[in-house]
Amino acid sequence: MRIPKFEYLRPLTMEDTCSLLYKYKTDAKILAGGTDLFVKMKKKQILPKVVISLNGIKQLDRIEWDEKKGLTIGPLVKHEALLNHPIIKGKFDLLTEACFKIGTRQVRNMGTLVGNLCNASPSSDAAAPLLALETKLKLVHLYGEKIVPLEEFFIGPFQTVLHPEEIVAEIRISKLPSNTTGSYQYIHKASSVGETLVGVAVLLTVDPKDSTCQEARIALSSVAPTPIRAKAAEKTLRGKRIDAKVSKEAAQVVSDEIQPRSRPWYRREMARVLVERAILQAMEKIG
Amino acid sequence: MKKQLIELRINGELCEVAAESQRTLLEVLREDLGLTGAKEACGTGECGACTVLVDGKPILSCLTLAIEAQGKEITTIEGLSKAGELHPLQKAFIQQGAIQCGYCTSGMILNAKSILDENPKPSREEILKGLEGNLCRCTGYNKILEAVMAASTGKD
Repeated sequence: MRIPKFEYLRPLTMEDTCSLLYKYKTDAKILAGGTDLFVKMKKKQILPKVVISLNGIKQLDRIEWDEKKGLTIGPLVKHEALLNHPIIKGKFDLLTEACFKIGTRQVRNMGTLVGNLCNASPSSDAAAPLLALETKLKLVHLYGEKIVPLEEFFIGPFQTVLHPEEIVAEIRISKLPSNTTGSYQYIHKASSVGETLVGVAVLLTVDPKDSTCQEARIALSSVAPTPIRAKAAEKTLRGKRIDAKVSKEAAQVVSDEIQPRSRPWYRREMARVLVERAILQAMEKIG
Repeated sequence: MKKQLIELRINGELCEVAAESQRTLLEVLREDLGLTGAKEACGTGECGACTVLVDGKPILSCLTLAIEAQGKEITTIEGLSKAGELHPLQKAFIQQGAIQCGYCTSGMILNAKSILDENPKPSREEILKGLEGNLCRCTGYNKILEAVMAASTGKD
């Protein structure tokens, strides 16, 4: 299987990248890891005239942590780098858990987190924890930039708000309050490298004095046209002491509020099981 | 779409190839440089038969542009033996009967090498997880697992 012909461009700055995107618009595609782009091109699902490689801009391969600003991840950061990053392991371990599920060892060494989000698969494993972490994306184009919450970034299966002349320049995750833990739970299709059938990310902030839930965020992939937050279920957790009964009730609310398109009965059942499991797992980490 | 001069460092040697930008690393290795150890099977990143090491990490050469592999250290199965002596993993694969048709073997061994380079004593589960992107359609997974375990413990 061959990749159809294209013109290869390798800008050395973000500004040049934006100029090229502005010039070529829908004729151009951005290359970071290539694990989605070249598969689609080989299958002739997309046939860009121009491929703009980001790999000449080394500073895009950066993970930065700042006590005030939080975590910043550049568009060339690969899943494998996230897996091995001590800050992410320590502070955002639900993201580590999700990255470990993505693709295969080879794909994790090639594919980027930002590319994963731009592909906008409803079953993206990274999307659920990043939604729960209220991730923001910095989109830039030749004449400006804007910050978009991840929740508003996805608009449909494999569709985002990103314009052809825009690029995701970084993603930002704020520092979490203390006493916050999370968990990512999933089940997959036939094999361990198969697509995720239901993915659940839960993030809980618990008062250490009386163990009531101060903040709860639940996000899921593969149960709706886009990865989604389960906000009705989150509400049921806030202000309560989390025990087996409360977890079960929240899981039932999730099961009712999601909108799976195919195998809806099974996906609702599994979402229920996984949400309960993720809440209990997160609580166990708090100890 | 003109051909461009691409410089690749493969198994420690610098190679020059004139290739169009859409050519994959796998195509250039096999068709231009005669290094046919890396195989094409699915062509879409599912099977791992095309796995080579780039800067020591396993990647899919069927989804990597040759032009993007410039300036990096590429290791193919042809580069594993030293002075006519097979790599311990290659020996272990032969000893354990972990090769049947052989089509997955080069990718399997290179990925296994990267696993052992990162962690010389992985558990069975860590090896299985690490090799999940390499399919063996002869389904000889147990022998492959045993071979990697044997290589990791230094037993032939």
